[in-house]
Amino acid sequence: MSLIELRDVRKIYRIGDIEIRALDGVSLEIHEGEYIAIIGPSGSGKSTLMHVLGCLDRVTEGHVRIDDVDVSRAGSDRLARTRNEKIGFVFQSFNLLPRLNVLENVELPLVYSGIGKSERRRRALEAVAAVGLSDRTGNRPNQLSGGQCQRVAIARALVNRPRIILADEPTGALDSRTGRAIMDLFRELSQRGHTVALVTHDANVASEAARQIVLRDGKIV
Amino acid sequence: MKILMGIAEGFGEIRAHKFRSFLTMLGVVLGVASLLAMFALTAGIAKGYREVMSQMGGLERVKVRTEPVPSHQESIRELSPGRTYKDAQALRRNAPLLSWISPELDTYLPVRRADKTESFQVIGVEEDYLHTERHNVEHGRFLSDKDRWDHSRVCVIGRGVVERLWDDPEGVPLGESVRIGNEIFRVVGIFQRYESDQDKKRRELKAKHPPPPPQAGTRSRSRSRWSTFRFKNDVVVVPITTFSTVFKNTKQAGTPEEGSELKLDDLNVQVADLEMFEEALAQIRQVLMVTHRGIEDFSVETRQEMFDEMNTSLRNLHMSFGLIAGISLLVGGIGIMNIMLASISERIREIGIRRAVGARSADIFGQIVIESTVLAALGGVFGLGAALGLMRVLEAMSPVQNRPVVEPSAVIMSLTFAVGVGVLAGLYPAWRAAKLSPIEALRYE
Ligand SMILES: Nc1ncnc2c1ncn2[C@@H]1O[C@H](COP(=O)(O)OP(=O)(O)OP(=O)(O)O)[C@@H](O)[C@H]1O
Ligand SMILES: [Mg+2]
Repeated sequence: MSLIELRDVRKIYRIGDIEIRALDGVSLEIHEGEYIAIIGPSGSGKSTLMHVLGCLDRVTEGHVRIDDVDVSRAGSDRLARTRNEKIGFVFQSFNLLPRLNVLENVELPLVYSGIGKSERRRRALEAVAAVGLSDRTGNRPNQLSGGQCQRVAIARALVNRPRIILADEPTGALDSRTGRAIMDLFRELSQRGHTVALVTHDANVASEAARQIVLRDGKIV
Repeated sequence: MKILMGIAEGFGEIRAHKFRSFLTMLGVVLGVASLLAMFALTAGIAKGYREVMSQMGGLERVKVRTEPVPSHQESIRELSPGRTYKDAQALRRNAPLLSWISPELDTYLPVRRADKTESFQVIGVEEDYLHTERHNVEHGRFLSDKDRWDHSRVCVIGRGVVERLWDDPEGVPLGESVRIGNEIFRVVGIFQRYESDQDKKRRELKAKHPPPPPQAGTRSRSRSRWSTFRFKNDVVVVPITTFSTVFKNTKQAGTPEEGSELKLDDLNVQVADLEMFEEALAQIRQVLMVTHRGIEDFSVETRQEMFDEMNTSLRNLHMSFGLIAGISLLVGGIGIMNIMLASISERIREIGIRRAVGARSADIFGQIVIESTVLAALGGVFGLGAALGLMRVLEAMSPVQNRPVVEPSAVIMSLTFAVGVGVLAGLYPAWRAAKLSPIEALRYE
């Protein structure tokens, strides 16, 4: 039984008369515990695919099932629940809230799943420890380096123990050494049993993944 | 739980933009302040009205006035004896809907005690006067039936008379004598002091902390200030019989006895039951038509019109003040809405991030509404403070009996309005924020 299943997914943007097929008939299955790299040239639809997988965006056509729920037909509250409970998303640009400190940023998903304060604190500390930032919990994002920010974002993605971790070019904004460390973190997560799918431009990184999905013009090749 | 967090976040947001939040709140501050001031002002005016009305005998009091004979009855005018003591007696016998009937004679006379002389209104009355005028005898007694029969030279005086003729304004000169006109009268009773609540408080305060130099020359406090209560305080009351024999030269009219045609200076009655007001008026008219032999040289004056006028003007006052306060609150609300909209476009990315980690659109909606409500409520609280300050100024400016009164209900009302404005001002921005899809919000630059 696959954890994620895409069938004939199309995402079409219309700008005036021009039709942009960001995803053009993508079918895909991802199983529990897989480590997948998504590669392809710029504009090939990698981010669009990630957003669809992450329930951040809706498809124009086709079906998306995540953990046996047809999210392509679900209402927006259902999607919010799925994002909250089943998916941890790591962005290229970190997307941390600037006014919250590290711990509060990491706690955020737990706030929306209605978990009590002390339990939130406990789990957030655990997740922060897992990315090696226990000594920076009180800092704001602007007091951290890029690599540290991305660790916070990963901790946030982990904190609600989601089954799926998605990352869209998580090392894109980092230098290669820092990027290396972040990639090690993802590999570690994968080894611990998380299902991980990440977008990358780095052939070395991609080659580490057990499975590679190559996109071109919105199609899997 | 979530609401508490939302409130905390609202405060965080305010703290992060102190000056901007302050400017935003200013509208609500002004709105609440003017709303509260308006409530307090009208409450003060209404209270003043009520005190005055009650002191004047309330709605129940009805006055019988003399009128010129209507032209079509000109030829038979001689038939009517006019407003006489007989009228009072006829009403006592034949108008059961009236509870008190007070025939009165009055004039202004110099009243002298020791070396002080002052002019006062001197009124000749019967026992009913006490009730129609709502007088209260604080010391001694009121005039009695016996005083009337004996034509006794006794009087009951108001507190104002004591203040002006005796050295101690709080004194109780029972049994002492005064010269009214050229006749000596004995004081048998003293009315209570009539004053507004505000005056009373001030006087009590003064009594506790007397002003430093007790000026020997100037006579007692505030007597030059106009007040409705002065009429009631500056009065000397004597038996109507004594009055007519001593002060009325019209001996031929005789003294008020059965069937006397003594002309009255005033005739006031009190209606027993306001439910039967119209019927009572009809009764008065009926009885007087008989004593006046069908000649309509009198009218019955009620306070109804005065009451209605007061109520209308109070209502108008409420409306115009309410409009002003409403407008400032509206402006305040628009200010908040504006800031919320601005802060949303600033924070679209934040909204996207929150949505991405699992916030439902309802969570976003709630957050924005709570933020705006916190802003308005805080403004409301500041407005309350401003209003209390404003009240000090208004108090100094408004006439004594119309002092603004801050009622707790007005405070609650104003704060409720502020919160309401906050909620309303938050709704549209919140809706705008909530309808953004997560990806749109995240992509927003
Ligand atoms: N909101 C949008 N409106 C219109 N077109 C869009 C929108 N988002 C993406 N596209 C188009 O869809 C196509 C796929 O975009 P996508 O961002 O998925 O590419 P990508 O593979 O992630 O590229 P990169 O490697 O540069 O990040 C592009 O042609 C892009 O212009
Ligand atoms: Mg991309």
